[in-house]
Amino acid sequence: MTAETTDIPVEDLEPKSRRGFLRALLASPSGVIGLVIVGVLVFCAAFAPWIAPHDPLRMAAGPRLQPPSLAHIMGTDDFGRDVFSRIVHGARLTLQIGVIAVGISLTAGLTLGLLAGYAAGWTERVLMRLVDVLFSFTEIVIALACLAIFGVGLTNAMIAIGIASIPFYARVTHSVVLVERNKPYFEAAVSAGAGHARLIVLHLLPNVVPTLIVVGTLGVSTAVLAAAGLSFLGLGAQPPQPEWGFMLSASRDLISRAPWMMIFPGLAIAVTVLGFNLLGDGIREVLDPRQRSR
Amino acid sequence: MAEPVLAVENLTIAFGKGSARHVAVRDLSYRLHRGETLAIVGESGSGKSVSSLALLGLLPPRAATIESGRAMFECRDLLAMSEAEQRGLRGDRITMIFQEPMTSLTPVLRVGLQLIEPLVEHKGMSRRVAEARAMEMLDLVGLDRPERRMRQFPHELSGGMRQRVMIAMAMAADPAILIADEPTTALDVTVQAQILDLMRALKTDFDTSLILITHDMGVVAEMADRVVVMRAGEKLEEGPVEDLFARPTTPYTRRLLDAVPRLGALAGTSGPRSVVAEPAPVGEVLVRAEGLSKVFRDRAWFFGKGRASAHAMDDVGFHLAAGETLALVGESGSGKSTTGRAILRLIEVDSGRIEVAGDDIRGLSSRALRRERRKMQMIFQDPFAALNPRMSAGRLVAEPMVIHDIAAGSELDDRVEALFRRVGLESDHIRRYPHEFSGGQRQRLCIARALGVGPRLMVADEPTSALDVSVQAQVLELMLELQQTLGLAYLFISHDMAVVEEVAHRVAVMRKGRIVEIGPRADVLGDPRHPYTRTLLAAVPMPDPTRKRGALPTLDLETVPMGPLADVAPGHAVAQ
Amino acid sequence: MLRYLIQRLVAAAITIWIATIAVTLLIHAVPGDPVQIMYASFQTTPEELDAIRSRLGLDQPIWAQYALYMQRLFEGDLGRSIVGDQPVLDVLLIRFPATLALTVASLAIAVAVGMSLGFLAAYKRGTAVDVGAMVLAIMGVSMPHFWLGLLLLFLFSLTLQWLPVAGGDWKSLILPAMTLGLANAAVLARLTRSAMIDIFDQDFVRTAHAKGLPKAVVLYRHALRSGLVPIVSMLGLQFAYLMGGAIVVENVFAWNGVGRLAIEAVFARDYPLIQGFILFFATVVVMVSVIIDVAYALLDPRIRYS
Repeated sequence: MTAETTDIPVEDLEPKSRRGFLRALLASPSGVIGLVIVGVLVFCAAFAPWIAPHDPLRMAAGPRLQPPSLAHIMGTDDFGRDVFSRIVHGARLTLQIGVIAVGISLTAGLTLGLLAGYAAGWTERVLMRLVDVLFSFTEIVIALACLAIFGVGLTNAMIAIGIASIPFYARVTHSVVLVERNKPYFEAAVSAGAGHARLIVLHLLPNVVPTLIVVGTLGVSTAVLAAAGLSFLGLGAQPPQPEWGFMLSASRDLISRAPWMMIFPGLAIAVTVLGFNLLGDGIREVLDPRQRSR
Repeated sequence: MAEPVLAVENLTIAFGKGSARHVAVRDLSYRLHRGETLAIVGESGSGKSVSSLALLGLLPPRAATIESGRAMFECRDLLAMSEAEQRGLRGDRITMIFQEPMTSLTPVLRVGLQLIEPLVEHKGMSRRVAEARAMEMLDLVGLDRPERRMRQFPHELSGGMRQRVMIAMAMAADPAILIADEPTTALDVTVQAQILDLMRALKTDFDTSLILITHDMGVVAEMADRVVVMRAGEKLEEGPVEDLFARPTTPYTRRLLDAVPRLGALAGTSGPRSVVAEPAPVGEVLVRAEGLSKVFRDRAWFFGKGRASAHAMDDVGFHLAAGETLALVGESGSGKSTTGRAILRLIEVDSGRIEVAGDDIRGLSSRALRRERRKMQMIFQDPFAALNPRMSAGRLVAEPMVIHDIAAGSELDDRVEALFRRVGLESDHIRRYPHEFSGGQRQRLCIARALGVGPRLMVADEPTSALDVSVQAQVLELMLELQQTLGLAYLFISHDMAVVEEVAHRVAVMRKGRIVEIGPRADVLGDPRHPYTRTLLAAVPMPDPTRKRGALPTLDLETVPMGPLADVAPGHAVAQ
Repeated sequence: MLRYLIQRLVAAAITIWIATIAVTLLIHAVPGDPVQIMYASFQTTPEELDAIRSRLGLDQPIWAQYALYMQRLFEGDLGRSIVGDQPVLDVLLIRFPATLALTVASLAIAVAVGMSLGFLAAYKRGTAVDVGAMVLAIMGVSMPHFWLGLLLLFLFSLTLQWLPVAGGDWKSLILPAMTLGLANAAVLARLTRSAMIDIFDQDFVRTAHAKGLPKAVVLYRHALRSGLVPIVSMLGLQFAYLMGGAIVVENVFAWNGVGRLAIEAVFARDYPLIQGFILFFATVVVMVSVIIDVAYALLDPRIRYS
């Protein structure tokens, strides 16, 4: 008999419906701030042409290297482009990067991890050893290798980042599947006579998805950071794309003359990444009550 | 009467604040006298542990608040002391041992250091003196080669040994009060008996007062002088142990005592109690297992087979008839669960033959095996874990019927509803999720799920050991009723001899992967022939303070017969 | 312990072996003719290209190329870089000390700042200190390395003029090491906090309190020593992240390490250098993780004595 060690009441925190989930998310400070930031980002991306006062690509929208003013609230760059307009349009690229990169790594990683975890035995060992090896190459080196193969550019950078993160998602999925596979309910389903498809789709998948929602949300922030980094190095976005990392890189030689060119794009990246990180933390708190007090 | 060692008065403890406030202990008062053993008894959530942790200032900080009360110990109020004063008493005048010996010692520190810490801290002993004292204590708690034990790390000791270390640590300081929080719950029954004997002997030698927190009425009857019964944070009654067992004053205590299975209650009868008017008779042989063996190996790291770690099953064989219950009993690591799973082919055995209703289970293709599973279902120890948390109760119960194409559409709905009623659940429970049920209801849900496909065999792996005793009695009743109306065969896996006596027709005793004794229940429990069976039975605490358990026969591990079975009476076989 | 060690070493060898296969395949994954791409900016005749192809072994079947690559590898030959026409291994070894200095200094900062912050937050769980530390940590986690670098550069070099913008001496190491170290300190703080909270909830910590030990003893002897086991096991991965982060940070501060070299190589499509870099990087990361695994085993008696 497993008697309780301390009779601390266990609250019933399992969210009962989608509405309950949203309510719980709105009750967590990180969830709310994350939702607001991500909301603003999506809004900017959706209505960029209406929000931005200028064409992000038009040179000489104003005088060159203007400090922030009423006409150009974030100043202008060395080509006289409006920094604010470029940042608003950059939101589109950023969202695109997040969705595509995470889409690639999530789909492939989930499939790999699920199959390895379910198959067990040899398949599992070989697959997971390989994933371990790729993992120790680190994501940035895999991304660099991919770019060395495909050549530089923002699209290639997104794909490279997506591929580079597959081992991570495979590992996370696999570790969750391992836990779930060893829970009695899985054995109960097997002993009820369930076949492969039912076991994977109805029993494992629904119990893996919550973790992957969290990891995927946090993964968007990693992908955005990585893409901005590659663009900063010149391997991602190419001129004149209004990509934040690339804008930062362009500001490097002008830091002392035009610090606003460095400050605002960096702030945009940091706030976006923070938003997805907070949202991910918030969702985790809701889905995993054990984490609540953490 | 002499001044009590400890007087707790009007203790109230709450968790959380405001609307989330939950009172864990309400207005609790009791006294503990010198040299006395006071048992605090209750089921889960009764507040029995919280109230004792509070005395030592060990409640989780910020989560719990002591709202009122006093606890007078040596003319001082424990609850009003500064933290430093409390710390001075902890581990010195008042010591504590916990339920989980496996996790109660710091894994990265040597046993010796952990033993001497409180002596150096409180008694001001030098390291050397403390070490001598610690070794003396290790010897006293029955651990051999104390010098070696001092240098070992916790993971090198078994659970029973670790609990002995905990006791040595708690008694070394010669405390006035020892608080033992479910000290034997995590241990096997033979180890439990040894630990209880040890605690009783040390308590007398050291003239210590003992507060024993437990849910087990057998342990209470064996150990306690006086008993406090708690329920939902409140004290229901208090009294000397004989009075309480003979004349419980509250209905709750009476129910609690009635629900406790008593070993020997069915002595002289052959089968389980009849709970229906015309119980289905024991029929044809349904399951035949011969020569089952299985060696568990460490997970291979990349290639190869991995090291063989343990013989989980070694030449296990038995038969089981329709309408019959065969109980597999044994301690942890005896291979009883492995055997249950092997019969259902949830794990593959290395060798042997399994026949269920005439079909060779090991020879089936995976598709045929899935069809065959209709005939044999399983009930698990932890009913909550055995239910997929993301499926509704209705879908869970329907699932096996869907898998085996037994019903669909409205017919399926009707069958699910009928099953809910059959196992004593309301039909409006269908839409709920597993976490919205209580422990007993969840086990009913598992049983309903298994019943849907009309199985002939059920393997029940410790089906009631995660439940409170009162709930356990109800679930066992349901299982008996189902067997007697439907003629189900049960392979009933349990460590609890008293439960086994209630449900089994026949009993197989397992030790280290082998069956050492098998036969009709009345013979095996009434006239045990194997020394291990005798030890196992002698170790069971009696929930009756008037019948003290005799001394535990010492089992000579070297000479325990572990060979092939030979008949000693018709149907009763013992390892030679 | 010995078995564990052998296991780790075999795993390391397998990883490096797979890395050699991966880099040989890399050049084949390039769409089109890798030699033409590599020499696109040089004036080369088709005959010269053929000569280069055969020198690199690219005219042979893939298994023969692999055999050739391995044979040269065992002779310590990683090929010659296209751009500088120097032995790849020499170039890497010349540049590596700078990267090593940067990563070690950053690791020291990350461990010192991150672990103390995480430990403090776990100990003060639920208080303002905890919340403050965690707000700081999540901001640190979200901060792009390169932006933090630029901000520090702007503040300390350009505005306050305390530190040099670039150069090779120890003073110019301060900013890159702080950039990389602080960013990873945030990650480490979060990991440490959650590991320590797990430990604080363990039964043995309660036992230690029940023994009446002073708080400091419970904290350091029982909790922290046990907590170090999971925390140290995470350091291998942290080091790998640092090495990866160094690639970016070296470029921000014009720090002449292998990271900067790698980016130049990708731009120039200098495949021998890229191959050499990947292999070299993987080897370093794997070797460090073996060292960390050994430290981990020494800390945990459950592994040490098995």
